[in-house]
Amino acid sequence: MLPWVEKYRPKTLDEIVNQEDVIASLKNIISTKSVPHMLFTGPPGTGKTATAHAFAHDLYGANYLSDGLFVEINASDERGIDVIRERVKTYARSVPFSGIGFRLLLLDECDQLTDAAQHAFRRTMEQFSNTCRFILAANYSNRIIEPIQSRCVVLRFKPLTKDAVGRALTRIAENENVKISESGVDAIYEFSLGDMRKAINMLQSAATISRSVDEKTVYTVMGHIERGLVRRMIDMSVSGDFKGARELLRELIYLNGVSPSDIISSISREIYGLQISDLDKIELVDALGETDFRIASGGTPEVQLLAFLAKLASKKVMVR
Amino acid sequence: MTLTWAEKYRPKRLSEIVGNKAAVKEFLDWIQGWEGGRPSKKSALLHGPPGVGKTSTVYAYALERGLDVVEVNASDYRTRERIENVIGMASQSATLSGLRNRIILVDEVDGIDSRADTGAVNSLIKAISESRIPIVLVANDPWDQRLAPLREKCLMIKFNRIPKPSIASHLRKIADAEKMKISDNMIRIIAEKSGGDLRSAINDLQALADSGGFLTTEVLGERERERDVFTAVATVFSSRDIQTALSAFEGLDLEPSDFHTWLMDNLPERLTNPRDLARAMDRLARADIHLQRVLTTQRWDLLKYAIAVMTAGVGLLVGRAGGGRLGFPSKIRYMGQTRAERAALTSASVKIAGKCHLSASKARTEMLPYIAFIMAKSPAKGLRDFFSLEENEVKYMTARYTTSPKKSGA
Repeated sequence: MLPWVEKYRPKTLDEIVNQEDVIASLKNIISTKSVPHMLFTGPPGTGKTATAHAFAHDLYGANYLSDGLFVEINASDERGIDVIRERVKTYARSVPFSGIGFRLLLLDECDQLTDAAQHAFRRTMEQFSNTCRFILAANYSNRIIEPIQSRCVVLRFKPLTKDAVGRALTRIAENENVKISESGVDAIYEFSLGDMRKAINMLQSAATISRSVDEKTVYTVMGHIERGLVRRMIDMSVSGDFKGARELLRELIYLNGVSPSDIISSISREIYGLQISDLDKIELVDALGETDFRIASGGTPEVQLLAFLAKLASKKVMVR
Repeated sequence: MTLTWAEKYRPKRLSEIVGNKAAVKEFLDWIQGWEGGRPSKKSALLHGPPGVGKTSTVYAYALERGLDVVEVNASDYRTRERIENVIGMASQSATLSGLRNRIILVDEVDGIDSRADTGAVNSLIKAISESRIPIVLVANDPWDQRLAPLREKCLMIKFNRIPKPSIASHLRKIADAEKMKISDNMIRIIAEKSGGDLRSAINDLQALADSGGFLTTEVLGERERERDVFTAVATVFSSRDIQTALSAFEGLDLEPSDFHTWLMDNLPERLTNPRDLARAMDRLARADIHLQRVLTTQRWDLLKYAIAVMTAGVGLLVGRAGGGRLGFPSKIRYMGQTRAERAALTSASVKIAGKCHLSASKARTEMLPYIAFIMAKSPAKGLRDFFSLEENEVKYMTARYTTSPKKSGA
């Protein structure tokens, strides 16, 4: 058994769904053989990495990996820009024997690089641009410094539409001898929105408990997987169980590896629905903004979020 | 030659003895019996741990009354003859002169070596029964079987360890007299470490002063670090003024960020009012910002802001002693308890990342929960092989989906 996200990963540009404009541009590039540096931006699960591979496949042929014409580096895994530059150097230094005369390098999740690291990388890009073309991938283009953006053709990936997700899920389900109802697709889309990776993961998870996936199956699975930890943490705080909330926060951060910014986004979605006065809600929104900013500027996530939870715990619950 | 502080500040009067008031009174009653010529027992055995004032009591009394102390160290003068000579001479000369102006002090009675000093105990007993002047025996542990016949002849007076607050206030007097600058917290640490031994505490104080401030309590010898931290945390929480709170961190052998964790995790034990807790937690969050600035900019002069806000800023909001029991930080416990699990999840994430074109951190949140669920709910050997997962990685990944939801949520 394979993870379906890998089994059904698109191989060629024609298999990429929902990104017609991007694909058209890329096919045009291939036909002219004039490849610029590129910046792929878009939310998670919209096909940025898959498209980079598919582009290399269509440009160099099916053996693009074994021929050593394409390499993928994840910016957030590599320790520091120096490591990345070393890897880029050794890879980009030599001209490939055959083909177009340059290789492709995908630098994924490059919005994880600091500004200083991006500036350093910019020089690396220029230094090796004769022998190597770069594809940078990031969730948000506004986290990429201007000098890099200006050297790249920026291609924007859109969140997948429900139709696109539905078609893909139906095709996979058929292939795997699983039935998925329309309500099943709706439920999966409700959780995953335009994130295809999440949608496929949900389908495979749901298929392990029932060969016929409907709304109920999806809700059951997601109840297990998402567990509403943030929601429970907030409820505990509001009901005065600060220490219980503290335990859940630690589970989120240290066991589940949820990023502080994701925890903050989840909290911000919950604040307006709390059973507290409107004045208190606004005060909490203000405090959450402060927490968000402090963490972004180097504050310890656990400490800052605990202070926020303590504030939450001090608010009076309104009985209706 | 300069006197050690322990000698310099040895009590000159019985009223200056720190602690052990009952024992001193008992001693006084007994020796006043000698003045009347009818002591209840001819000898007294002062016993108790080192540095609690046994010998000092004898000297203070002698000074007050203008008496000489003839000191015999029982473990130095080991032979029976020696004890007989010294005690006999002192005792007889008193008789001859007709002046009761001496006290014989036999120190370290429990140091008498039973094999080498055969008869030492008997000669002591003999000397006691013949003596016309008070013989005071001193021992740390008088309960050895060999000393049983000796105990019968003696009034047993027990000296206890000196309470730490008494030691601390005595150290403060000495420090002030020596014009030594030292924080209350440092004095508290020395008192804590002394284990009720005033002499060693005074020695430590002097060592600290002599070192010109370079010597920390760490160098002064073995100590129980945890207990120091507990004291420091308690000091912060009970402080009513800035100085006391600030001093809590002085001399503490702990990184500021670790002390921050101690304060943060213990705060809910002491502050139960949610509004107060929220305010104090915000102070700690502010202190964290200052701390992180120190770390990222390496500007250590910024540390003072962090320390002030996390100690005084928090302490003044709590401002009282008592409340819940202080404990080891729950964060440290949590990280300890989850170490194996976190390591397994991290290594599994790296493996998944390698196969799914993701960073390890994204793999952990975007892929791992689903892979884990699928493996828990179906015989998914293929997945395990695909990612080359080890058994314990699979175990930790799937645990939350195989145990009851109630348990996994805790």
